Amino acid sequence: MNTSGFYLQIQLICVYNMNDNREKQICQVRMSCICIYFFSGQWAERVYTMITAKDLSFSYTGSPPYVLRGLNLMIKEGEYVSVVGENGCGKSTLMRLILKFLKPTSGSIATKAARVGYVPQKSDYSNAGFPITVYEALDSYRRLLKIRDKSVIEAGLQQVGMQAFAGALMGTLSGGQGQKILIARALMGAPDLLILDEPSTGVDIQSQQEIYGFLKGINQNNGITIVSVEHNLDAAVSNSTLIYHLTDGRGHLCSPKKYAQEFLGGKSGQGGVGNAAI
Amino acid sequence: MLQYSFMQNAVLVSVFISILCPSIGIFLVLRRYSMIGDTLSHASLAGVTLGLLAGQNPILGAFVFTSICGALIEFLRNYFKKYTDLILTIVLSLSVGTAITIISSGKLKANADSFLFGSILTVTQFDMIMVLVLSIISVLTLIILYHQMLYIAYDEEAARVAGVRVKLINYVFSILVASAISVSIRIVGVLVLSSMIALPVATALQLGKGFRVTLIFSIVFSMVDIMTGLFVSYYLNVAPGGFTALVSVAVLVVVLVGKTVQARLRARRAA
Repeated sequence: MNTSGFYLQIQLICVYNMNDNREKQICQVRMSCICIYFFSGQWAERVYTMITAKDLSFSYTGSPPYVLRGLNLMIKEGEYVSVVGENGCGKSTLMRLILKFLKPTSGSIATKAARVGYVPQKSDYSNAGFPITVYEALDSYRRLLKIRDKSVIEAGLQQVGMQAFAGALMGTLSGGQGQKILIARALMGAPDLLILDEPSTGVDIQSQQEIYGFLKGINQNNGITIVSVEHNLDAAVSNSTLIYHLTDGRGHLCSPKKYAQEFLGGKSGQGGVGNAAI
Repeated sequence: MLQYSFMQNAVLVSVFISILCPSIGIFLVLRRYSMIGDTLSHASLAGVTLGLLAGQNPILGAFVFTSICGALIEFLRNYFKKYTDLILTIVLSLSVGTAITIISSGKLKANADSFLFGSILTVTQFDMIMVLVLSIISVLTLIILYHQMLYIAYDEEAARVAGVRVKLINYVFSILVASAISVSIRIVGVLVLSSMIALPVATALQLGKGFRVTLIFSIVFSMVDIMTGLFVSYYLNVAPGGFTALVSVAVLVVVLVGKTVQARLRARRAA
């Protein structure tokens, strides 16, 4: 029970023991206000929260040492959250828990998203020798999502400026080109939550600018909630609406400005990435 | 040659093998599971001996036992996550141990040797029906699960995010592998069966095309390998399995040489 629920109980006891009618009335009004606050808060929490983690702990062995320890996290709809932290602090583990690839050792994590888009780390998809063309990769994914309209492939490629590469083998694409295709694939079926694992790894500066600009655009214009594991702190500070900083299995949310002041010595990171459209 | 009914049966079964083996093999090769084909082909010998021991059709025996072994490999994956190659050794020990024990016991009423090397003469009418049924069911299942299996092989995590039931499909796939092996065991034989699963795919991969084209070329190369192996082995009076394996290696070498020559010609033109 949260704090407002606790006060509600106290007020009920007070009203029950009161003799003065006027005091009773005042108290009832105050109680109603608290009720409205309490229930509207609960309602808002339920409606506008995209990801909720409660006392989330995770260990790969099921026993200590824990990668994540008692995390409490609430990400609202429409946020662009960058998850940052040292190597091995549990960033990718948190992503895998959100995606339900892993089960929490204790606590819970849930998302409200009807459809989730996922862009894996480059090393995960690079599977360079796999004989698959860009069109095949998108077409098969379309069928997995049970989307009948074939035009979503063309539209997706157009969205990321990769129409000319439909017939190319995935293994022959550069890091930036491959990442754009994976973003187009993840956006297929109009997801409300987009999860990215280090989108700038192995991607040249020009492509990074294009990718981050595009992500910022779909977050602001289409309202897609984005959660991105980031090594690129400049990009995290420049583009996100919130930063989730993980250390020693614990994390806290803060604004990019505060994060920049605390950890980057006030450097805003504006020069790191641009907002060019793809 | 084709006026003999045994040869007609062999040709028909070979057509099914050349479609089914590379269609399954392409997923095994791309998932780096080629050795599963080898392990399960050895498991099929145990199934054959169990079938013969029980007085049942050996292909049916091979299908049932190989399916169980395929499911066992999938199941043991949960226990040996970091040593998946060890799973194959365990299943190989179980199946080869079973086969050798039954064969050496002398209780078999029929000869299991023809299943080791493959034989054209031994394809019976009931075998034909079994092969036909297994092939049709397997090809239909492959068509239905094509995109799911493609994505599990290419990007398993993306498949999971898209809602594919990866574990279930992996079990179904094990049964498909068992089916392809059971269909092929009569003609190709246990010892070289894995070559039918992997070599046409290895040859098609050299062409550097997309998935669908690679699959079609795998089937084409497989048909060339098996038909050449079948007809030449008939005239040379040797076991078709061994000769088919030799043809498939030869076709691979020809494609590799062709690819190298083409690359050099291109480089010369560019210079």
